[in-house]
This record gives sequence, structure tokens and C-alpha cells, in this order.
Amino acid sequence: MNTEQVSVLYFAKSAELTGLKAENITVPSNISSLQLWQHLETRHPRLSVLRDQVVLAVCQEYVPLGEQLLTLRDGDEVAVIPPLSGG
Amino acid sequence: MAADGGQDLITLTTDKLSADGVSESVTCPSCGAVSLFIGTTRDHFEGKKVIRLEYEAYSPMAESELRKICREIRTKWPSVRHINIQHRLGVVPITEASVIIGISSPHRSDSLEAVKYCINTLKATVPIWKKEIYESGEPCWKENKECLWADTGKDPK
Repeated sequence: MNTEQVSVLYFAKSAELTGLKAENITVPSNISSLQLWQHLETRHPRLSVLRDQVVLAVCQEYVPLGEQLLTLRDGDEVAVIPPLSGG
Repeated sequence: MAADGGQDLITLTTDKLSADGVSESVTCPSCGAVSLFIGTTRDHFEGKKVIRLEYEAYSPMAESELRKICREIRTKWPSVRHINIQHRLGVVPITEASVIIGISSPHRSDSLEAVKYCINTLKATVPIWKKEIYESGEPCWKENKECLWADTGKDPK
């Protein structure tokens, strides 16, 4: 199984829940967005309150949590995106 | 960026925003209309007194999403000339502007519609977050109803 090291950025409520702005994690190259989220929840159980109200951004494109397979590469940037409140 | 020299100006800044500055930046001789939207911070929410707002952004992605919005505007309203979108980050005191959008076009209909589209789409798609700090009680991260993954009970289609 190929694994990649990706950086994960935490924003807003997710940063408060994890106590982190960013971290590096190692994950399989082929993983679904839901599996990636579950991996993050395992590392940071307090994230579970966001589970129904969060999407990810992978290489700055939004990805909802689901079966969609991501093809991650070393150095890719993933961000946890709680509900938006700009404007 | 429009083919005829129309500009997309996008700024994320902790500095105080200026409506005059935005208006001047999109004004041009060929345009009969400059439309502006200014989003300001309210001092109350559900009976609670708000003492300030704090904004946070995923800045590189916020800029790329704002550029996407500009491209969409230019596709829907090709006569639009200049677009200037400024969003403030960090602490924003009450009544100060958190966002200013200025758009120019030859005739008023296009810039008015484009400004409305711009703020509505910004609220749905740009990775910026607002926290309300109250006089008493816990601060609260707000959620735009336009955001498809916010918990509004609405079924997104």
C-alpha cells in the first residue's frame, strides 16, 4: 500500500476543537474523503461534533465527505472546512 | 480578467476598508454605473449584544474562489468592466465594514445584478469564517445559510 504525507489545515471551530492550525499526517494514497475524515476524527475525537457539517478542501477544491476516492500525493494540502461565514 | 482590460481586484486585509477607495478603483470613463455593496457588522444577534467580530480565512483558497466568482460574473454579465472585492480579516469593530464589493458597467442593470450575485456567491463558497464575540456568554462561530454544509435543516440540491 502506498502512503503519502499530507498537511492538514484546521480552521475556525475545527482549529479550536483540535487545538491545532496544522499538522502533517501519513495516509494511503487512495482513500475516500470519508475515510480521511474518520482518520482525523480518530486522531482528534472532539472533531466528531462537526461530522454532519463539514467538508474537506483537497488542493483547494471542495470535497464533501463520502465515497469519492482521493488520489493524494506527498505534500498535498488538505483543509477542514466548517460551515462558511464570510461576507 | 476581461479581454478589454477590465480588472479583477481582490484584497484580503486586516486594514480598515474604504468604500471611496473601492469606488474610485472601479470607476472608468466608459462606465455609467458603479454599484457598491458594503457589509457591516451588526451590534446584536438574537438579543445578545455583539462587541466585535473576528474573521479568519483560508487565504490562498479564498482568493482563488473569489477569482472564480469574478470569472462567473464576466460570463453572466459580459459588459462588466472592473470588479473590486475587499474582505477584512482579524478583528472588525461594530459598524465597520467587513466586506466591500464594487463593480462598474456601462449601464446600471448589469453592475447591480453582478454585485448581488457576488455577495450571495461569496457567502456560499469563499472559505472565510466569522466569530461573534458577545458582551456576555460564549463566542459563536457563525454559519451562512447560503453554505450548503451548514446545519440549517435545508436539504441542499
